[in-house]
Amino acid sequence: MSTTANDPAAPKKGGLSDLRKVFGGGQSSLRQFGILGSLIVIILIFQIWTGGLTLSPTNLINVVNQYSYILILAIGMVMVIIMGHIDLSVGSVAAFTGIIVAKSMADWNLPWPWAILLGIAVGAAIGAWQGFWVAFIGVPAFIVTLAGMLIFRGGNQFIGQSTTTPVPQEFGIIGAGYLPELAVPLNFNVLTMILGVIGAGWIVWNEIRARRVQKKMGSEMAPVWVSIVKVVVLAGVILWAAWLFATGRPGTSFPISGIILVALVILYSFITNNTIFGRHIYAVGGNRIAATLSGVKDRRVDFFVMMNMSVLAAVAGMIYVARATASGPQDGNGWELDAIAAVFIGGAAVSGGIGTVIGSVIGGLVMAFLNNGLQLIGADADVVQIIKGLVLLFAVGVDVWSKSQGRPSILGIWGSRRKSRLEAQAPDEAPTVVPSSQSNLSSQPEDVTRR
Amino acid sequence: MKKITLAATALAAVAALALSGCSGGERGGDAGGASDAAGFAADSTIGVALPDKTSENWVLAGGLFEDGLEEAGFKGDVQYAPASNTVAEQQNQISAMVTNGAKVIVIGAKDGKQLGTQLQQAADAGVKIIAYDRLIENTENVDYYVAFDNFKVGQLQGQALLEGLEARSGHAAPWNIELFSGSPDDANSAVFFDGAMEVLQPKIDDGTLVVASGQTDIAQTATQGWEAENAQSRMDSILTSTYSSSDIDGVLSPNDNLARAIITSAKQAGKDISKITVTGQDSEVESVKSIMAGEQYSTINKDTTLLVEQTIKMIQQLQKGEEADVNDTEQYDNGVKVVPAYLLDPVIVTKENAAEAYANNPNLLEIVTAAQ
Repeated sequence: MSTTANDPAAPKKGGLSDLRKVFGGGQSSLRQFGILGSLIVIILIFQIWTGGLTLSPTNLINVVNQYSYILILAIGMVMVIIMGHIDLSVGSVAAFTGIIVAKSMADWNLPWPWAILLGIAVGAAIGAWQGFWVAFIGVPAFIVTLAGMLIFRGGNQFIGQSTTTPVPQEFGIIGAGYLPELAVPLNFNVLTMILGVIGAGWIVWNEIRARRVQKKMGSEMAPVWVSIVKVVVLAGVILWAAWLFATGRPGTSFPISGIILVALVILYSFITNNTIFGRHIYAVGGNRIAATLSGVKDRRVDFFVMMNMSVLAAVAGMIYVARATASGPQDGNGWELDAIAAVFIGGAAVSGGIGTVIGSVIGGLVMAFLNNGLQLIGADADVVQIIKGLVLLFAVGVDVWSKSQGRPSILGIWGSRRKSRLEAQAPDEAPTVVPSSQSNLSSQPEDVTRR
Repeated sequence: MKKITLAATALAAVAALALSGCSGGERGGDAGGASDAAGFAADSTIGVALPDKTSENWVLAGGLFEDGLEEAGFKGDVQYAPASNTVAEQQNQISAMVTNGAKVIVIGAKDGKQLGTQLQQAADAGVKIIAYDRLIENTENVDYYVAFDNFKVGQLQGQALLEGLEARSGHAAPWNIELFSGSPDDANSAVFFDGAMEVLQPKIDDGTLVVASGQTDIAQTATQGWEAENAQSRMDSILTSTYSSSDIDGVLSPNDNLARAIITSAKQAGKDISKITVTGQDSEVESVKSIMAGEQYSTINKDTTLLVEQTIKMIQQLQKGEEADVNDTEQYDNGVKVVPAYLLDPVIVTKENAAEAYANNPNLLEIVTAAQ
């Protein structure tokens, strides 16, 4: 279950190779490092190209509002893809939930918090339906969700009679609401800054805790300067982002949909990294037979992962409806493809077993900033689509190519020559199972790599 | 070590705050609402968000906007919504235009009921919104509506149907007709239909016209998604159920695309199309050919050139700080407010007046003269 002993990414001590530890060790976090790098490059390019508009508060708020629902889908989709499945129905499920929620408020005068609960229940019911076919009947998820795509798109148009149904203004808070302003004479949104400080504090605390654990277990530790660089950079970015969000147009601040997104990212990162269920997902996705033989109930995992995806699709659908102020027959068209693209750009493997929640969110942000930047410079919609397609192909292509070359990433080249001998024995695509940024290196028995 | 980490973090936090201090300038400043009366710079950016690139008409409009805005000295930012995730991407495009500092945004909405959030954003930034061709509903932040008078379009279609019946059917009243309307999610569908029924209903009541299938309600006559195949299959079943032994004399069709589907259906059922009056709208190339060949009876010409010219004229008035011209302040209630509108008159086109009606449009004129 732990990282393979022959991991070719095993670093040499000291010097540049320590830099990698800023983002943890291991193959999959290195991959994330690459994607994070591309995200930063894309943002910087557009920041210059648009004359500073990309990182302006208004635009950042727009990006969060516009893509939070796609990123929420990506969180569920990465788990589906780790399992070696795919879910094509998410857009239709989102639209179906959206129209039911909108109708429940318009026709039955359901109060909006109840409508949200209803929406989640609808998502769970749909998920249970799809999960049942996948897990217990054994129909491939591709087929089940292709059917779901048709069924729930039709369901949306049947219930809504292909018309657009408006939702009450209060419902809009989950898609277009912001953290409220406190009655204090400060020229920025206080709650947003508080969140930023909490985030930065968490980074610091997390690093300290990780180092303590590493010390206690006597495992290899990154040098202190690496820790400091890591903490300073991450906390700085969080605080800076919080400041930008807090100083947008009065009345706007960090969007509620963004808070929902962040909460879900934290929750699902925890589930996938730190819970038995999460480990089972990686285990079954990496090698179903081995996992089953080890006592993992693979069907149950299939069922809950598919069900979870539909619940998240329902959440995404409701956020979109809230933002659009109405549920329409076109909602959710093509969302599944955006979510799947985000997951693969974020480092998941088509064969299953590999991928992380945070990586997928970063992958989604790459697409989001690309789309947003191209729209800001006024590129035509057709050009935008071509570029997005090329980026997807290129991102995954580079990964596959570098793997076929036996390198985990560009940074891997810095490793020692000696590694190539180890590679000869290393299985090429060993399912790297531990993506957790802090536990990865520490769980790696040092003596093995120095053998 | 812990202390070092903490100290460094604190330092970084302070540095980040200090560095970004300059970028927080948007807040506290006036959002632009107060400068309404004063107009805006003559070389400002004007956003134009159009719904799709697959229809001739929108592509033509986009080109005219680009040229027209440039000629008027503005910076035009014309964007079409992409084919997938269309509504959401159009929302994003509108947000990007606001971010880009557009002073007026002209919107041909993909779904006119799903833009509330973006238009609120625009209003907060002091951007004027002109709904182009399609009304934007359920928001107070639409400043103007510019379009052809769609109710008039319906009326003209109704009149054309009556004229055509007289001219083509070869017999006196009563005439058998069938009714078709557009997609239920398009607000214009009902307006066309109501306009036509204002003309036709009295004639149905007095027995001049007979809707033999009995389907006269807009829900029964609707064509989902404006899809030609839906109109064709509905026509097929009506012909089978109602007209296997009797003759159909006329069909009210809301647009050209559906009209051609209806004609195809009638032909396949062995009806003599030269005796049947089918109306239309949009002056699509294929339909103009069909009219010249004596099949479709009429279409409507809404000269996009004129509509774009009018829109740009309104933008220029707004730029000077004036109110834009409107000629209708009652008809277009979007659910929240009555949107002041400038309506242009559509023109009915039959074989007789085609050459005259398309004088502005070299493409169509060529087809007309070639056929004559």
